Amino acid sequence: MSSRQWLSSAVRQCKPQQLPRTFSTTAPVAAFRSLFGKKDNEMYGLLKEGLERGGPLSEAEQRQVMDQQAPRASIQDLRGRDVTEAYARQMPRRWRTGEVYAPRDLGPTEARKFRAGKTASRDVVDMFGFNPVDNYKNFSMISEFMTSMGRIKHSKETGLRPVNQRKMAKAIRRAIGMGLHPSVHKHPEILRRGRHGLPTSAIPTPETTRQNVL
Amino acid sequence: MASRSVSPGGALLRTSRIFAMANPIPPPVTDSSSGATSFSSNMATLDFPTHQVITTLSSARKRGEWGLKRSLPLKTTLKSKIPMLRVKAIDSAEQITDFTSATDHGMNRRKFLELGIPLTARRPAGGDGGDSSNQNRPTLSMNLPQKSVFEKEIDTTDLDPDDLAKAIDNRWRFNGPWLAGMTTGKFQKYLEKEVRPRRPEFREFLKKKIAAELHQAAANEALDKGTEPPAPLDASSVTEDQLIDFLRKLRHDSQALYDMVGQFLDLAPLAPPNISQLGLPAGINKITWRQIKNPYATGGPPVTHPSAGLSYLRTSMYMDNHPIYGPQRQHPSVVARIVSPRRQAQTQPAKLGVAGFIVNTPLGDTTSNSRNNTLFDKIDPDVKGGAKVWVQPKRATVDSSGRVVLTVDDASAEAKLVAQELLGLATCLGTTRDERQTGRVESASQIRRRYSAKNAPAMSSTQNYGIQR
Repeated sequence: MSSRQWLSSAVRQCKPQQLPRTFSTTAPVAAFRSLFGKKDNEMYGLLKEGLERGGPLSEAEQRQVMDQQAPRASIQDLRGRDVTEAYARQMPRRWRTGEVYAPRDLGPTEARKFRAGKTASRDVVDMFGFNPVDNYKNFSMISEFMTSMGRIKHSKETGLRPVNQRKMAKAIRRAIGMGLHPSVHKHPEILRRGRHGLPTSAIPTPETTRQNVL
Repeated sequence: MASRSVSPGGALLRTSRIFAMANPIPPPVTDSSSGATSFSSNMATLDFPTHQVITTLSSARKRGEWGLKRSLPLKTTLKSKIPMLRVKAIDSAEQITDFTSATDHGMNRRKFLELGIPLTARRPAGGDGGDSSNQNRPTLSMNLPQKSVFEKEIDTTDLDPDDLAKAIDNRWRFNGPWLAGMTTGKFQKYLEKEVRPRRPEFREFLKKKIAAELHQAAANEALDKGTEPPAPLDASSVTEDQLIDFLRKLRHDSQALYDMVGQFLDLAPLAPPNISQLGLPAGINKITWRQIKNPYATGGPPVTHPSAGLSYLRTSMYMDNHPIYGPQRQHPSVVARIVSPRRQAQTQPAKLGVAGFIVNTPLGDTTSNSRNNTLFDKIDPDVKGGAKVWVQPKRATVDSSGRVVLTVDDASAEAKLVAQELLGLATCLGTTRDERQTGRVESASQIRRRYSAKNAPAMSSTQNYGIQR
């Protein structure tokens, strides 16, 4: 883009009173125009002068135009955003409305505790009242309670009480023994979901011709 | 009987602190107890206090005297300026008194009282029901003045067992659980342990209902005929066949069945399901229900009294008076701390802290919501003590989980200036503060001496009203 082109586009952009706007009588627009009109008029004059002179603007004039045209997001703002991000990363607690805080809760010692996730301390099987052995065909459940290498998770990680841990382990062994579930990795459907990062229902299933045949 | 005579030892114990200590209440339900992976701290301040806060006089405190079994160590109890402790165990197995500081909740309560706003009851989810035009516009009813939790019809604390069912729309405490808040496993256990053994009792309850129904029908008939009203029927006179017929009728009327079961078990009211839950519009589906007006039907009943004992104010409809500027239109504005900034990438809104409670930023078309307000977006480490804004507390309610939900608005410019002037942070109407006066600290006795002078300023006190001489 030549400097001439750039200049004319700049003139077009800051032309103070474009025809359609002149007829706008709504209060906000009128107020806006009166607020910024003076400054724009000055710049319009400056650019017009440059155009009439026929040559490109001098360096000082160019800087003046660019200063006025530049968006207000300056380097300082970007730096401020970086600082905010850096500090916010040190404050991992997600505050919820109605929670109570004392000065101690805003300090670094408490903030650090919210960084590490804590594993389940409640028995989900008791909570939802189902029998794991009856659900051996539920591959989402089976995959949840085995590692990525296909080993049954320890009760330390699952949070199940011994009775339910045994039932869950039995369900996993049964699913693998019946050939319903792979023994060295999670179920392919779960892996596919993990790859896409989407819920399973949202992923289109590949159409096989055999399924369409009656 | 006015008072029972007790032995001197008994009287001593009765007035002692050990006997006056309230039992701790169960702690709030946290994420860590919900099975899923959670981010939490076991040392963070709880959403509501579970133990009573005790205090003592300064002279007794210097001796470690807190009215407990043994005196407390001075090294720890004298460190804080504010004498507030919570005692977890008066005497543990190791023969020590287990105590910690309670300034967190104690000071928060003091700060809350300074706001001068009453605790209000939540409005029912579908509006008040009286005006049908308001029903689908909860935002409208949100802005209406709220009712104090101490209003007579809402504040039901002591009811006759027979009136429990009648007052269902205004009660906040129920003997039975709130079924919508139970997990499947818990519900199954509840059915097995508590409901199933009460089957014969429920049949008796139904018989009583049938007897009352039959009596009502007979009384109406007698009234029409102009004969003597019949004697009330006894539940034992209801036959098994009548009961079975009634049960069959109930099975086809879900609302009536729920009413009977709900009354028998004193279940907390449940909000009727909406279309998105049922999948059918109201006209088509078979289940019929009555509108529930109880404000706790959607979120479950509160764990405490809806005031949570935080404040006993009944209204905020009073005027604050300024010594120079006279009556003020608004209550004093307060400073809110920006506890966490708005983070757009994480879709995390900014959170404010008012009087130690986490609060949402003001809603609506306010200056703090204007586009060029970047105060909520950034953390500026150069601002000492963190960024703060002036807000106007509007109302406070306690939600089902016992959290205090405060609502704030932007402070008006005038209210903010007046509040700042009182703190010595700003000057109004060209007044300047005397530099010598600003830094001077007056002791209580100096102030008392100033006001006990011959031409003391007119102040209202108990003496003026002749209450005390």
